Amino acid sequence: MDLTGEFRARSDGGERCREATGLESLHLGDESRPLPPDNVGGFTALLELPPTQAVNLLRFTDSPSSSSQAAAVTGIAPTPPLHSYGTLTFPSNSLLMERAARFSTEHQQNGNVSGTSSVPSNSSVKTEPAETDSSQAVNSRSGKRKDSDKKAKSSTKKKKKNKSSEENEKLPYVHVRARRGQATDSHSLAERARREKINARMKLLQELVPGCDKIQGTALVLDEIINHVQSLQRQVEMLSMRLASVNPRIDFNLDTILASENGSLMDGSFNGTAMQVAWPHQVTETEQSYHHRQLQQPQQWPFDGLNQRAWGKEEDQDHGQ
Amino acid sequence: MASAYNPIYTDVPEKDVFALHFLQTLSNLRTQNSFSSPDNKTSDRVKKIKKAAYVSMARAAGGTNRLWSRSLLHQAAKRNNKNVRFLRRKRRVTWLMRRRSNRGDPIEDVAAERLRNLVPGGGGMETSKLMEETAHYIKCLSMQVKVMQCLVDGLSPK
Repeated sequence: MDLTGEFRARSDGGERCREATGLESLHLGDESRPLPPDNVGGFTALLELPPTQAVNLLRFTDSPSSSSQAAAVTGIAPTPPLHSYGTLTFPSNSLLMERAARFSTEHQQNGNVSGTSSVPSNSSVKTEPAETDSSQAVNSRSGKRKDSDKKAKSSTKKKKKNKSSEENEKLPYVHVRARRGQATDSHSLAERARREKINARMKLLQELVPGCDKIQGTALVLDEIINHVQSLQRQVEMLSMRLASVNPRIDFNLDTILASENGSLMDGSFNGTAMQVAWPHQVTETEQSYHHRQLQQPQQWPFDGLNQRAWGKEEDQDHGQ
Repeated sequence: MASAYNPIYTDVPEKDVFALHFLQTLSNLRTQNSFSSPDNKTSDRVKKIKKAAYVSMARAAGGTNRLWSRSLLHQAAKRNNKNVRFLRRKRRVTWLMRRRSNRGDPIEDVAAERLRNLVPGGGGMETSKLMEETAHYIKCLSMQVKVMQCLVDGLSPK
């Protein structure tokens, strides 16, 4: 029974692996779709079972009772769980779901028992031909599923290639492969490449601006970015106003500091070197305290060229690191 | 800090580079017109400092390698009537051409227009390039704000 072999191969979650294959298929069928009571009529007529027992079999997987009934059901039951299993294993791939739905509709049209949503008119079909039909259908469907499996893998590969092509943006030509179901003319390709570029940069901007991660939708994110830029520019203006009001006190020293930095740095007097030696710990301090001390110096010490020259040296030393 | 590989290059130098450039520009300002002084707290002074801040930021951040800094420096130089020469890149033409042939999203077009007005030099750029420049501009602006904040805190009386 290649059917059950396939089931075992695909049931990765260990919970599904059971020794009784019938129970396994039952389990899967139960998982996706508990049968509505009107369908039970169709099934039970075939199975010649009382409806309550059939419902019990199909709903409660742990029931070890009546393995014979389980065996009877397995002939038919695998087919409904088949395409529902298809939806179970590949829920993320809508293509396979469509394909599975298509299969189910096909087999409904064939008047097969396998369609769970089928009308109870299938009650006329007997069990044995239903079994052979279903097995054939299963084989064809399994073959088709293998194809769709491959296609799923190839589509993911294509998606990966798309992503890697996104990373190769700095190359002069961007090689983009078309995804499934999308137009392949050059205009839409270029449009898509452009859109991906823009989305990548939008993500980058979202990381920069605080509080932009939570917002959904490009328009709001862009608004937030614009607000942030405006607020930063306003902050610069505010700070420059404050600086202008504070400024007159340090005119003199900044000039001399920066002049001396470019000027004679090499002639260090004894005092200068002593001051340098005294300040090696400053290198590890934060920027703020560095500024603080630098600008406070002139207020504490008398203005002599010696101090300022050493100061210039210290600044240069700090910037050198 | 792990250096993540980012194909979009938006690195910004450290704070002290910004600080150095800013202080240099300020001192230049002062040497220029310290004696013909528009004295305390007129709007001229504020404007000059603001301009100095932006110019120093542009120089510190990218010099002429970045589009926004280039146009900023160009604007500033024009006002001073200096002759500033930049290497005209031929790529500029293709960007303009591409922009005109953009059938863009109406949502992002409106926002892109606003961004272009905000970010200096945004007029001739395509949307993706504009967003790169915006990212770099935001980083540099925040760095400049930090530097100025430190300066003001250091200078303000206790």
